[in-house]
Amino acid sequence: MATISFAKSLVNPAVKLLLKQNNCSHVRCTTGLNGLTPLSIVLRRNYAEKQVFERTKPHCNVGTIGHVDHGKTTLTAAITKVLADVNLAQKKGYADIDNAPEEKARGITINVAHVEYQTEARHYGHTDCPGHADYIKNMITGTAQMDGAILVVAATDGVMPQTREHLLLAKQIGIQHVVVFINKVDAADEEMVELVEMEIRELMSEMGYDGDKVPVIKGSALCALEGKSPEIGSEAISQLLKEVDAFIPTPVRELDKPFLLPVESVHSIPGRGTVVTGRLHRGVLKKGTECEIVGHGKVMKTTVTGVEMFHKTLDEAQAGDQLGALVRSIKREQIKRGMVMAKPGTVKAHDNVEAAVYILSKEEGGRSKPFTSFIQLQMFSMTWDCATQVVIPDKEMVMPGEDASLRLRLLKPMVCEPGQRFTLRLGDLTLGTGVITKINNNLSEEDRLKLLEGKKAREKAASKK
Amino acid sequence: MKLTVQTYSKMIFQLVRRFHAGPVCRAAESSLLAKLRKKTGYTIANCKKALEMHNNDADKAESWLNDQAQAMGWAKATKLAGRTALQGLVAVKFDKEHGALVELNCETDFVAKNEKFLKMIEDATLACFKFAHTHMQAKGPVTKMELDSEQLANLATQSGKKLSEELALFIGTVGENAVLRRAECWKANNKDVKITGYTHPAPATPADYSAGKYGALLAYKQPNDTEDVGRQLCQHIVGMGPRKIGNKETDKPAKDTDDETCLIFQEYLLDPSYTVEEVLAKHKVEVIDYIRFSCGEVIEANMPGVEKQPLDTVQTLQ
Repeated sequence: MATISFAKSLVNPAVKLLLKQNNCSHVRCTTGLNGLTPLSIVLRRNYAEKQVFERTKPHCNVGTIGHVDHGKTTLTAAITKVLADVNLAQKKGYADIDNAPEEKARGITINVAHVEYQTEARHYGHTDCPGHADYIKNMITGTAQMDGAILVVAATDGVMPQTREHLLLAKQIGIQHVVVFINKVDAADEEMVELVEMEIRELMSEMGYDGDKVPVIKGSALCALEGKSPEIGSEAISQLLKEVDAFIPTPVRELDKPFLLPVESVHSIPGRGTVVTGRLHRGVLKKGTECEIVGHGKVMKTTVTGVEMFHKTLDEAQAGDQLGALVRSIKREQIKRGMVMAKPGTVKAHDNVEAAVYILSKEEGGRSKPFTSFIQLQMFSMTWDCATQVVIPDKEMVMPGEDASLRLRLLKPMVCEPGQRFTLRLGDLTLGTGVITKINNNLSEEDRLKLLEGKKAREKAASKK
Repeated sequence: MKLTVQTYSKMIFQLVRRFHAGPVCRAAESSLLAKLRKKTGYTIANCKKALEMHNNDADKAESWLNDQAQAMGWAKATKLAGRTALQGLVAVKFDKEHGALVELNCETDFVAKNEKFLKMIEDATLACFKFAHTHMQAKGPVTKMELDSEQLANLATQSGKKLSEELALFIGTVGENAVLRRAECWKANNKDVKITGYTHPAPATPADYSAGKYGALLAYKQPNDTEDVGRQLCQHIVGMGPRKIGNKETDKPAKDTDDETCLIFQEYLLDPSYTVEEVLAKHKVEVIDYIRFSCGEVIEANMPGVEKQPLDTVQTLQ
């Protein structure tokens, strides 16, 4: 116990120190090598030519949702303009944002516009998508996870029938914090704006948000963009950003979470013991940390007795580092690729999960055919892969290019947790990619047998036909 | 009759809403504008205008709004007409001898999930279904009628309005372009011929009306003593999207089964160890015809004034 608390007291200041240093780990590595080899000098020169991203503020991802004509794009443009005036963003024109380019992230085509800006408090990535399906794809592939959203409503039109659908989407992709911007107040009078605010609060309450506490800002994005009447223009935008700063919480960074290392390979080094290697997925790993190795139906407790990177010992490895960890009193044969080394008690192996999955279309490299329930696919996540039986609960089949919620049953328990991403493959084709949404109780022995027996029974029934 | 029911339901809705509203909102609640907006659901700007025109007489303003709704819908529809609408739904309605398949497009998929949109496409489908009952002459085993946007717009709904009028009203409410893209009406002229339909995603319990992103109608012959596989075949067509039925003598199966476009040579969706041909033979089914709609497909090629040309050229021209 004493060692743990000691380790804790060491970790926390270290993390704080790191936050102050404003450098990500690999940048530090290269600077550490500087002056040793001519190569690093060349590297440095390249760095100097490109603008270096300065990590001085916490990062947060937001997005705009709302009706097509209510001024989402104008608002985004206005935000960049207002912030550009105080040198916190690069001004983007309406046209730069509006023609949301097709982005091919992880081979999946998503229509999305990304804009970057910062306020005094935080750095923002701003996402704007045209359709429901695009936001869902975004969530599943994790290209731009949204921590919060700005709902845009025009004062002239008020709440539209589809505003309900917009909020439903926000719920579905897990956005808990929505800030409302009532746009176009220059074209409406006070009474109308008041009415719109009331309607929005009502609707938000009805959809399960705290309607009375939701920040509602009134303004005109167009005025801000054109630099007219600042009280509803630029000032309203500044106020909106203030509310966004205050209302949408900063996400917990990977570095601050308990450590997790998916095992890539295991080596046995004579005289030293067993070394597991892999890329630290999250958290900070230090020599002397107690850990648990989970997967392939096994759970083992041990201690990390040394951390190495590129054959050099390391005091502390951070998320993203490719490292080797020496573990105490465990034989090489006991650990296999696909297991996960993590802080004791933080991960568990599961074999019955629910997931939101996007099935690739033929153009994206997927299959041209749909699939039905009980198809068996290979599921790849972190460094493990496992045969999985797929059940489609709410549809009869899933077409290529569609998203669906699936129930997945793994042939053996593997480390799964909500929010973990994975890929489904069939033979040499990638069928889809998804994110785990819910962990169900593990399968009983009987269920597990059914998984195999059921298949045989189905085959039997098929052959009888 | 229908109108009064609507007003009543709106009033009840308004009552329920009033309970919801917090104390902060009460001041605004009492205003005429708020009342009118809640009662009618028209855009706030229009409610305001109506009140101004009638010196804050709520009743007059309301009737004016109702009168104007059609005109405003038309105005909005004309204004938005140029915008591309590629999202939406395909709906199917069928009984043993008749079938209707309709595609309704809108701009964003948010709207396609809205109940007003669902109501709109149901109305359109029912209109086509009725058309299949009343207006079609017997000729061959199956009479087929393709309807384009214009023909569709002229069909009458159950309430006696034209579909185009309903669509304009709908566009007025959601403020997004919507297009009744195309429809297909079928009638079987022979007792042996059955018609069935399928949409994806399918409803939880099989029904004679459903709507989804993909839809198909199938006409087939099957003796009554074998298990009816019409729905399953239709699901296969929706899922696999064959280009044609195919002929055993003249067509050859493709080398790669995944690229197969002839229905009869395709692997059966529900059991890939059989081909469709084998399934047809086993259940003594004869496929007469089918049609499949995929929402948002073949739009560019059909646009007036745009001739079919390679996609590359089109892109460079932009």
